[in-house]
Amino acid sequence: MSDQKKLIYNNEICTGCRSCVVGCSLYHDGECGKVVSRVAIVRNEQHGESFVVGCDACTDAPCANVCPTGACAMDHAAGIAKIDTNKCIGCKECAMACPFGAINMHYKTGKAFKCDLCEGREEGPVCADWCVSGAISYQTPTIAFKAKRREKLNERLKAAKVGEEG
Amino acid sequence: MYGWAGQRLRVDLTTGEITKEPLSYEYRRKWIGGRGFNSDVIYNEVPADMDPFDPRTRVCFGMGPVSGTAAPSTGRVTVTCKSPLTGGFGDSNMGGHWGAEVKYAGYDQIIVQGRAKHPVYIWIDDDKVEIRDARHLWGKFAREADPMIKQELGDEDIHIMMIGPAGENMVRFACTFNDVWRAAGRTGHGAVIGSKNLKAIATRGSGTVKIADPKKMMEVCNRLRQAFKTDPMKIGLNTIGSLCLINVANRDGWFPWNNFQFGSHPLASNMSGEVHAETVLKHREGCYACPIACGRFTEIRDGKYAGENFGGPEYEHAVPTGPRCGIIEDANDIWHNARLTNDYGLDAIECGGVISSAMEWFQRGLITTKDTGGLELTWGNAEVVDTLINQIGQRKGFGNILAEGADRAADKLGLPKEAHYYTITTRGMTLPGDDPRGLGFGYGLSFAMGTRGGCDHLRSLCCLELSGALYPGLNTKLLGDESANKPVTTNGKPYMVYYEENQKATTDCLQVCCFTTHWSYAVLTPDQVEYLNAVTGLDFTEEEFQEIGERIVNLERAYWNRLMSGVREDTVPERFLKEPMPPNGVDYQTNIGATLPLNEMLPKYYQYRDWDSKTGFPSERKLKQLGLDYVAKDLAPLRSKYLSDAEKKKVKYYY
Repeated sequence: MSDQKKLIYNNEICTGCRSCVVGCSLYHDGECGKVVSRVAIVRNEQHGESFVVGCDACTDAPCANVCPTGACAMDHAAGIAKIDTNKCIGCKECAMACPFGAINMHYKTGKAFKCDLCEGREEGPVCADWCVSGAISYQTPTIAFKAKRREKLNERLKAAKVGEEG
Repeated sequence: MYGWAGQRLRVDLTTGEITKEPLSYEYRRKWIGGRGFNSDVIYNEVPADMDPFDPRTRVCFGMGPVSGTAAPSTGRVTVTCKSPLTGGFGDSNMGGHWGAEVKYAGYDQIIVQGRAKHPVYIWIDDDKVEIRDARHLWGKFAREADPMIKQELGDEDIHIMMIGPAGENMVRFACTFNDVWRAAGRTGHGAVIGSKNLKAIATRGSGTVKIADPKKMMEVCNRLRQAFKTDPMKIGLNTIGSLCLINVANRDGWFPWNNFQFGSHPLASNMSGEVHAETVLKHREGCYACPIACGRFTEIRDGKYAGENFGGPEYEHAVPTGPRCGIIEDANDIWHNARLTNDYGLDAIECGGVISSAMEWFQRGLITTKDTGGLELTWGNAEVVDTLINQIGQRKGFGNILAEGADRAADKLGLPKEAHYYTITTRGMTLPGDDPRGLGFGYGLSFAMGTRGGCDHLRSLCCLELSGALYPGLNTKLLGDESANKPVTTNGKPYMVYYEENQKATTDCLQVCCFTTHWSYAVLTPDQVEYLNAVTGLDFTEEEFQEIGERIVNLERAYWNRLMSGVREDTVPERFLKEPMPPNGVDYQTNIGATLPLNEMLPKYYQYRDWDSKTGFPSERKLKQLGLDYVAKDLAPLRSKYLSDAEKKKVKYYY
């Protein structure tokens, strides 16, 4: 695994505010709306739960694997599958193959579109940059995993400390 | 068209007629959106003497040109109608995601009029609009009806505006919700929506908001969102919610203990945001496109209410049916009561206000258990508060009388004039849980002048006096007076209220959250003008921005003037003017002995407004300057009437 940065999602802390959605749609399409966003928030208002659905940048990407025209293909340098709109025939195969539902069809072109990590944006993907809670972060996975592992230990240390103070 | 959708939707529930009306450039430029559109419709279409429950009244839901865009917090909606609580102009503002969804469906405003024969809900699926049967939803809490509608329509991603049982029962302070928990609390429009037999408006919007200058918009929004990351007010709100104010309120003496008899309590921190976050916080929640995310989702984990959960509470949601009624020892009682007001769809502030008024009547011997159906209305009696909220929501027993609002209830019970001293209302509406003797004299002035009655911390949101110290130099920049950054002083306050009322009115037209601007200070007026122009492609200036706000304040004021409400009614409850703040066992309280010097500030305020100091009516000159010639014409014959002896003699608690 390279030190290529990826988008990491932590649904436990998502506030469901959709700052990522408006940022994504404005950056890519120059208009604002959920239908043109590459990242989506699924909410259940009754229980106050929110869930981020974005591209997980799979290594063995089902979207690229099923594409019949080669429009959706792995960009190994960027570490994510990308869609060439010119080659896309709008068959929706990639959208259905994605295990997370991170691909959508564009209302103007009828072609598939997906996350491209805000290619060329200096500060990294806008969704992670604007995320209020840290539910979306842009970082090297190996470092994220290390932090994840340490979480449990830190929790145990904290619990022990509380115990000492009595 | 950029920014605006360019049309509004009008639904007549009597005839079933659905019309879409285009909004001209001149109209949009004059009123911008949201609150501006709504206030214009109410002024022109709802006569001042019409009964608030008349089927011909309008309920307006207003969105703005930046609703649904990437500007900070763009999901707000203003709900406006003639208030059944005050009889006057009434509006309220809610967050959530519904406002953005309506915008994506292609509407800047929704107007509902008429009355359906049986309970219905409106289904807006982009340009398809239909009125559907809601008989099976009547009587349900929003948390129950919301998933039912979603299932029925086969889409769980839609957003729904809804009233609770209190609105159906026409409790005069019922509120409106969207996304189950986000309330437009004040002035009782939930009851008006209920009177129209309307349960909900479900919406699916699959469009977008077009941006005139996307590059510029991206640049501005990015700058503002970076600024929020380090803004001190944002950090407090995000981490512990608006309950972050509890400890501040207790220190500065504006904690409304026992119906504002005291301004602090030694146990206040039991319900602080810090404690809430550690004990009952389940999730943090954000409204649409919000860089703050102050929303909470609460789950009670122990005691007899264990397992109860709800969206909220905010400071103003938790305080009225908590400490204002003398409850503080067990915070779970407070969270439970907040859950109840939410479920019934009650304005928590008014509900706590009316119960605490009754408690004070009980304390003073003005009512006894004979009046209350055997209930002992003693301070801190959590069980009684629980019973009363249930009774109010269902309009049963003593609660049926309280459901009329505090001033009306006093009259229905035949109580002496003295009882109105304890209702803590201005223009028939109770004050929020902030004592102006401590919160600040600017807020006090704002409470007297609010164009929706006895609120209103949100009309001016004078946070320059509360949080000004966190932003050194800002008061000098905006008001030319740094000493205005202390709450308990009159320095600079008349101008501060004048300036902020105008600024907030336009902010409510854009339908962005007040917490993003001049509360936290990451967004100032020039920033708002910048993103408004980037979205619309127009050339608004800061002066025009403020002038539009001023126009709206004057129009709303004129609505009250038409009801013979003017300078004599521009006051706050006498308690704040007469009773020096007493100590209550908290040695760090900073405002002992303070009263609100309202009369020192009023003359200057009228001067800034260019309002006639004898009547409190906007001057003809000012109205014409603001392009409100027709309003000047309406008010002309009323000025002398207001000064007549007959009017002076009338005692007006409400209208």
